Amino acid sequence: MKRKNLLQSFSASRRELLRRSAALAGGIAAASALPRAALAARENELTVYCWEGYNSDKVLDPFRTEFDCDVRAQGLISDPDAVNQLRAGDTRIWDVINLNNSWGRRQLYPENLIVPLDQERFRPHWDMMLPEFKWPYHWAMSEDGKELLGNIQRFGPSGMNVDTNVISVEMAEDQGYNLILEDDFAGKYAVLKYDDWAIMHTALAAGFSPFRKLTEDEIGRFEQVMRKVITNAAFVSDDMNAIALGVINGSISASFPGSVYTVSTARFDGNPHFTCVVPKNGPAELGGKNGVCWMELTSLVNNPQLSPRGADFLEYVLRPEVCKNVAFAEGTFNPVAQMGDPRVMEQFSTEELDAFQWDRMPELMARCADFDDIPDYPKLHAIFTTALREKGV
Amino acid sequence: MAQATGIVTITPGQSARAAPEPSGWRAWLRQPGVLTALPMALLMLTGFVAPLLLVVAFAFMPPQSFSILQPPTLANFQEIFANSFYRSFLASLYLAAATTLICMVVCYPVAYAMVRVFGRVAGVLALLITAPLFVADNLRLVGWMLFLVKGGVLSGALQAWFGIATDSMLYTVSATLFGLVYTYLPFMLFPMIMGIAMVPLEMREAAFDLGATRWQVLKEVDIPLAMPGILIGALMTFILAAGALSEPRILGGSSVVMIAQDIQNEFTFAQNWPKGSALSVLMILVAGVLAVTLLRRIDLDGIFGRR
Repeated sequence: MKRKNLLQSFSASRRELLRRSAALAGGIAAASALPRAALAARENELTVYCWEGYNSDKVLDPFRTEFDCDVRAQGLISDPDAVNQLRAGDTRIWDVINLNNSWGRRQLYPENLIVPLDQERFRPHWDMMLPEFKWPYHWAMSEDGKELLGNIQRFGPSGMNVDTNVISVEMAEDQGYNLILEDDFAGKYAVLKYDDWAIMHTALAAGFSPFRKLTEDEIGRFEQVMRKVITNAAFVSDDMNAIALGVINGSISASFPGSVYTVSTARFDGNPHFTCVVPKNGPAELGGKNGVCWMELTSLVNNPQLSPRGADFLEYVLRPEVCKNVAFAEGTFNPVAQMGDPRVMEQFSTEELDAFQWDRMPELMARCADFDDIPDYPKLHAIFTTALREKGV
Repeated sequence: MAQATGIVTITPGQSARAAPEPSGWRAWLRQPGVLTALPMALLMLTGFVAPLLLVVAFAFMPPQSFSILQPPTLANFQEIFANSFYRSFLASLYLAAATTLICMVVCYPVAYAMVRVFGRVAGVLALLITAPLFVADNLRLVGWMLFLVKGGVLSGALQAWFGIATDSMLYTVSATLFGLVYTYLPFMLFPMIMGIAMVPLEMREAAFDLGATRWQVLKEVDIPLAMPGILIGALMTFILAAGALSEPRILGGSSVVMIAQDIQNEFTFAQNWPKGSALSVLMILVAGVLAVTLLRRIDLDGIFGRR
């Protein structure tokens, strides 16, 4: 018998192939029509989309072992990017989302992208919190104050970072952002390209709050200040380590903006002269506050097949030893709101506390307004990117 | 007997009951070539064409929106042309052209040596040039950052060995260009090797026999005959460099903003997918026009030996 080649055999059994294809297609269609519960067997898997830290093995490995759970975690690079991805349908992918405080209350929950937590289960954990985060904490609750939207854990103040070998803390606090704006200081600082933070601090440097609609005059003033900040910068980078390296080797003396978040690893690495300061004398409308503080909100995504391990994970990260691991994860070191509990506090050494400037934390936080939505963000961001494009022209 | 031999003879007047020949698109669809190409065609349609169409659709949606089911608008293009985005395009095109030119000049002698001089060593050399490609370009560029930064490997060595104090060599347009040349050099080198290998030795010998100088052989024989490889390398290098993101960010310190940075900004921090898509469409058009223009001058069939 003559052997047929592949195409001939295909041609001869086409009817059979069609029959099998139809059966396969029918099978797929039937499978997709199965009750959701049948496919929702996700007891042993969890997906986490978060700022770096929650995705470190120090945090995840013990959870994987204890809950016999396959955990996939991805670090995010910007809050708006993550929010956009959820809006675009990634709620089907993620179980846990970790973002800065205002997003949950202002956008994620109203847009039905996250689900409230079980208050009976989570409220007792709020006893661990520092006084400023006590129940019912504004940013953890829905606008009507009824729903708990997530855990508050890492937090930190933001102003600017300076090399105290060159600029004293007192001088930086008193002169504030004017220091950056002086022509004598051109080429001696770097701009940290965390776009929304650069925008907020430039508004503060221009003398007004970024958290309300701005007048045309104020937007003009913002543009003037932003162009100066960008033009006079030695360089612009989204890499806090590159900026820290510049301070350590003496190329630059400051980072604008700068925060405990971006300075803590350099401090822990033997450079305590690199310090976060929040200038005094901010805009009167912010009660004189001249910095911005952030608090991370960790929530459950409105995933149609939400893993039951999501809530377990949110509870797990509140254990004292895990609080420490979250605070001291790879990449950046930050205080956690659970440091109101002595069991958490005793996890930290003096050197570790000094890395995130714990001794000055109440003072720094008191000079910061809470991170919030920026109503004129599209306009201000366009000014920021235009200034970058036209730098030096 | 006829049946025994398997031969059927049809006498005049008899009609064979053969199936009618399919015509038109059905006949076309039954061709083996079409059938075997179908899976790949489907893959390309869903994996390559569909996302591009989505980007094109988004480019015509209202700014700051996240759905393609809205009335189309030209607002994004108007905003792009009214603003200074041309600077990013020009910076990208300028840096890509400079990168391509430098890579050409650097790669030609290397490629020539690998084809004509090094013999078996050429394989080892190719491996050494290829090896860094297995490491993510971000990591390699961070390595260069540590090499070039003030107090880094280079300036530290200059200071320690020769007492020469140098400042940081980073965060300039030159540093960006260096990063681009470093990253995209292999994309020029290997097509160029292929082009040079296509030049028949007999042609060169004939040219020398006829009294041509080395320069004339290079100009009249080597380069024209290697041109398909050179052009493919140039095209790949130019398009990849024009879309570069990491080099201006890591080594350049945003001293120059290339178009990919603007596109990334729109998709991330600006939350403006339509404007990011419109910028992408414009960049695809620029790259597409360039590719079509150059590919018209290249005889791909000749390169792959089909003619």
